[in-house]
Amino acid sequence: METIINDFISREFVQDKAELPLSNDASLLDGGILDSLSLLRLVVFLEERFGITVGEADLIPQNFASVNTICAYLRAREPGKLGATHG
Amino acid sequence: MAERRAERLLRTVEGVAYWAAVAPALACLPPALAYRAARWRGDAEFRYRSGKRDMLICNLRQLLGDEIGLADARRLARQWFRFASCEVIDVMRLRRRARALRRLVGIRGQEHLAAALAQGKGVILCSAHFGSYDCCFSLLGASGFPVTTIGRWQHNYTAGLSSAERRFWDLVYARRLRRHRHRPNIEPWTGRVEVAARAAAVLRANEVLTVAIDAPPLDTDRARAVQVPFLGRQAGLLPGAVALAQATGAPLLMAFLYRTADYQHQVLEISAPVLVDGDTAAAFARCAAAVSAAIRKSPAHWAYWASPGDLADLGLIPAPRDCAPAPGPALLPDGGIHHDGSADSVPARG
Repeated sequence: METIINDFISREFVQDKAELPLSNDASLLDGGILDSLSLLRLVVFLEERFGITVGEADLIPQNFASVNTICAYLRAREPGKLGATHG
Repeated sequence: MAERRAERLLRTVEGVAYWAAVAPALACLPPALAYRAARWRGDAEFRYRSGKRDMLICNLRQLLGDEIGLADARRLARQWFRFASCEVIDVMRLRRRARALRRLVGIRGQEHLAAALAQGKGVILCSAHFGSYDCCFSLLGASGFPVTTIGRWQHNYTAGLSSAERRFWDLVYARRLRRHRHRPNIEPWTGRVEVAARAAAVLRANEVLTVAIDAPPLDTDRARAVQVPFLGRQAGLLPGAVALAQATGAPLLMAFLYRTADYQHQVLEISAPVLVDGDTAAAFARCAAAVSAAIRKSPAHWAYWASPGDLADLGLIPAPRDCAPAPGPALLPDGGIHHDGSADSVPARG
């Protein structure tokens, strides 16, 4: 799961390729990698790729701070399914 | 100095009285009387608030100088003050189910809104800080459309306001508008990266998302601004509404609320969907052109004439120096505050 999300973010949102490879701990928000519209694109990607719906209550910066926190959020939502299918 | 302070205090008292007592009482009268009284107040403001009046005239002439003479600019400035006072009455007429305001507003192009909603992807309804835009959003909500607005309640963000002042504006202004909105406003601010995703959730639920697109970007958003032709110059604006439409497939419509010559009736004009395919900046330029055309059609509706700081932030005029009255500490900003249908800063008006 980390690889899939890291690849997507690296490909779509990292402007300065010198920042690659992107660490799974790298701060996506403070680092300026994600802005409002790119977060929207990321959410759409996550929903399509992992078959989930990200609720409004889940749209908080803490869930999208890094690749690791995104994965933690996804696993917390669908513990068995996501880990087995995409992990 | 003491004279200026006394003048300022008097203005504040008048502003508070108008918002809290006079306008609510006027709004219960027949509209012809209520709006006539509001016009008188506007005329008095035009006469006695010379600093603001001169600033308005100066800004109008700076930006529309080729099209209007001094007499026209004075007429438009007077009309601006009248509109501002009338807009307070509009807010008060949103009481209960807003029937008191709804019967004064004709909607042209409602079929475009209904047809766009029928596509099932929600609708982005773009406007500007133009006329009673915030009432317009709430009015659509009261008319049965599920409306959510992207925009800050500016009294919660204006530096220097006391908690009592914030509470005052919430009571006399925001509360009345909020009542007709389907969800709480989505309020952009530095660090709130979830704004677009929240907006997309509104669209996904096939609801109406309203936004005023003419606000200057926050400092932290300047890098995302695009330069577009606006009032014959170049303005730096955020194309987020178009980017959102492109990302979600939601149709984007333009809407402007015009006050008629009798001051009591208004017409809301809703456009057919704007083409948003292709380059984001080019598509956004079409939206900005629609705003620009609305302002040229009826300049006195545009709130930013009284806000040289915002005009400068947009890149339309040089940083304020000659036109603006000297700033001072504000108990209440110019006796009134305008809240935002937009993502950004809001001029004081009213």
